[in-house]
Amino acid sequence: MSPWEALALLLLLATGVLVVTLRNAIHAALALILNFLVLAGVYVGLDARFLGFIQVIVYAGAIVVLFLFVIMLLFAAQGEVGFDPLVRSKPLAALLALGVALALFSGLWGLNLAFAKDLQGGLPQALGPLLYGDWLFVLLAVGFLLMAATVVAVALVQPTRPLDALRPEERKEEKEVVR
Amino acid sequence: MLLLTILLPLLGFALLGLFGKRLKEPLPGVLASALVLASFLLGVGLLAQGGARFQAEWLPGIPFSLLLDNLSGFMLMIVTGVGFLIHVYAIGYMHGDPGNSRFFAYFNLFIAMMLTLVLADSYPVMFIGWEGVGLASFLLIGFWYKNAQYADSARKAFIVNRIGDLGFMLGMAILWALYGTLSITELKDALEGPLKNPSLLALAGLLLFLGAVGKSAQVPLMVWLPDAMAGPTPVSALIHAATMVTAGVYLVARSSFLYANLPDVSYAIAVIGLLTAAYGALSAFGQNDIKKIVAYSTISQLGYMFLAAGVGAYWVALFHVFTHAFFKALLFLASGSVIHALGGEQDVRKMGGLWKHLPYTRWHGLIGALALGGLPLLSGFWSKDAILTATLAYPFGGLGFYLGALLVAVLTAMYAMRWFVLVFLGEERGHHHPHEAPAVMLWPNHLLALGSLLAGYLALPHPLPNVLEPFLKPALAEVEAHHLSLGTEWGLIALSGAVALLGLWLGYTFFQRKAFPAWYLTFEAWSRESFYADRVYNALLVNPLKALAEALLFGDMGLLGGYAGLGGLVRSLGQGVARLQAGYLRVYALLFVLGVLLVLGVMRW
Amino acid sequence: MSYLFTSALLFALGVYGVLTRRTAILVFLSIELMLNAANLSLVGFARAHGLEGQVAALMVIAIAAAEVAVGLGLIVAIFRHRESTAVDDLSELRG
Repeated sequence: MSPWEALALLLLLATGVLVVTLRNAIHAALALILNFLVLAGVYVGLDARFLGFIQVIVYAGAIVVLFLFVIMLLFAAQGEVGFDPLVRSKPLAALLALGVALALFSGLWGLNLAFAKDLQGGLPQALGPLLYGDWLFVLLAVGFLLMAATVVAVALVQPTRPLDALRPEERKEEKEVVR
Repeated sequence: MLLLTILLPLLGFALLGLFGKRLKEPLPGVLASALVLASFLLGVGLLAQGGARFQAEWLPGIPFSLLLDNLSGFMLMIVTGVGFLIHVYAIGYMHGDPGNSRFFAYFNLFIAMMLTLVLADSYPVMFIGWEGVGLASFLLIGFWYKNAQYADSARKAFIVNRIGDLGFMLGMAILWALYGTLSITELKDALEGPLKNPSLLALAGLLLFLGAVGKSAQVPLMVWLPDAMAGPTPVSALIHAATMVTAGVYLVARSSFLYANLPDVSYAIAVIGLLTAAYGALSAFGQNDIKKIVAYSTISQLGYMFLAAGVGAYWVALFHVFTHAFFKALLFLASGSVIHALGGEQDVRKMGGLWKHLPYTRWHGLIGALALGGLPLLSGFWSKDAILTATLAYPFGGLGFYLGALLVAVLTAMYAMRWFVLVFLGEERGHHHPHEAPAVMLWPNHLLALGSLLAGYLALPHPLPNVLEPFLKPALAEVEAHHLSLGTEWGLIALSGAVALLGLWLGYTFFQRKAFPAWYLTFEAWSRESFYADRVYNALLVNPLKALAEALLFGDMGLLGGYAGLGGLVRSLGQGVARLQAGYLRVYALLFVLGVLLVLGVMRW
Repeated sequence: MSYLFTSALLFALGVYGVLTRRTAILVFLSIELMLNAANLSLVGFARAHGLEGQVAALMVIAIAAAEVAVGLGLIVAIFRHRESTAVDDLSELRG
């Protein structure tokens, strides 16, 4: 294991710890970006260059930025404030997380793998035939899923739901009942 | 077609119950009245065609059978005819009440159920109507259910009626056990020959009569009727005077083939009837609520009917049902008009002097009171006289009954005049500005007053034409009445007329006095509490039953303690498990991860 | 191998985050961390078993994008409704 590798992995773990412990949500999201950038580097080092760039573009560039947008939109930066009804859950959560790690370790333990496959650098030229060959239907299904998710996201954040707009008087009654 | 007479008001009930709130006043009342009128016309048309039958398979051995013969047709005409008039009156009386459409829905339900009761050709079908009118009565007594006392009155009526209903059911059970059928027509044929088991049959007859006692508020189950006056006045007029309470008389008349064979039971019926007549008449003296006076007079008059039915003069009982329906409905509706005129005042001590304020209602009240008191030539006179004569002419009667009934007739005339004098004569004791009722309330009263004047001429004494007796005879059991000589009969008529006049005069003069003698005040105090019937029942029945129930409840708790403990164990277990469902997402996530670990651990093992 | 162990540790960190975070958005961030831990192991295994691992990782990224779109939409909708994104407030359906 080269020192770079070791450094990258340590960075991964360190930023991961930051993600789950930082109190400010924006800081946590930034730590996540850092984590993803390091991860992209690790991917490149693991002969997965295309994936590495996708990681930077999609995850670090799009998804986490989206997170940041929402955090700012909802003024949710100070998320971990207020009364905590489950004070003693943290040690338990740590214990369980440790258990998960041990379970995964026990799965990995004794695994003998030959890391010698020629991956052609993980370039698009190598991935393309696979994506449009054996994995074509999976690709199409995922594309469909993305479209559906887009529609759902639009429907969810619409200012007024179509049903309410149709029958405003019933909505009024409903509110009174709730009260 | 016959079923339609029942279905029409039932349709009204359904429509008004479902959509009544969207109808604007007076649409619900008009719709309800029109349906009752349609039912009346249909019934009369069918009767003119010579009756009708309807039968549908229902329970094994108990078909849903209806029969329109002269007897049920006669009752149908009373129920729908008087019912229609009272419906129309209620349009005016219930004007502006927030429950207007609900009221008419219940009213139509009542008519439908009463018609089921009347038209039934088997006891279970009659029982449906029997319970149905009880329900409608309950709903209408408690119509202003926000008043807890009224709601209690409704419950009281229902519970007291249940005692009678139990008798009805047991009577049916015995008849079923004896004859294997509950169809009235079939039972009639079965009873033609010699009786199978006379004592058991007598028990059945007695139990059926117990049902009638409950429904018709006879001694000892009379306590509910005065309280039933909590309902709106049209309800009192229709249900608790003209129709439902006479259902007991109708039951006895319908089962006349049974009672004609049971002299002992008939004797008991007559005794109860006379007792009730006397009790009601005596209690009416002390009442101060305008409606309660009339209510006690209803009890008394119902007693008369049972007296007639008991001595075997079934058609006379129905004759009195008929005239009574007119003059009692009139009295109630006139009371309603008075209450309406005084803005809800019901206490006769705060009335008086209304003669000059109510130019129409005063005549209604006068005619009603005189008909009730039996002034010669009015309807009440003819029917009451027929009863008096019947006690001597019919085989189960006797001189004792005659004298008792004659005495009650004097009392009746007196308290009828007391009612009239207190309400309409004397000086004004209230501080109201009376106003006459609107036309929609006056016209039904005009017609009822006409009926009170003329209804008696349907059945005049012996040499004069009698339309009613031959009309009803085919549907009733033959009871041989020995004919009194013409002289005796007309002598009796003259006697009862003189007695009625005496009573009316006594009442008229006595109750205009300023001060009453001491003995009367004592009597009035007793009478006001209706001779403490309620208190006696409370002391003898209600409270011991309550104590017993509580003792039993205590025993039950001990007995069930073991089970309760078991249940508590499961319950606390459930509560413990339910605590896991705290509603906190993180707890669920924790448990979820724990589960994953457990599964993984098991798989690795 | 070290990548795989790191992946396992990152996954455990994600689990810890999901279990302790009280804001829906931060829970979501932790879930992303877990997804990436899984991706790392996929890429790691690809070195031993061939390119399919990388393709699968690509699919995971696409699905994660879809999941983020829906999830953030939900969070925004919930926030609109109740002015809060704290997961502990969402307890209407408790037993």
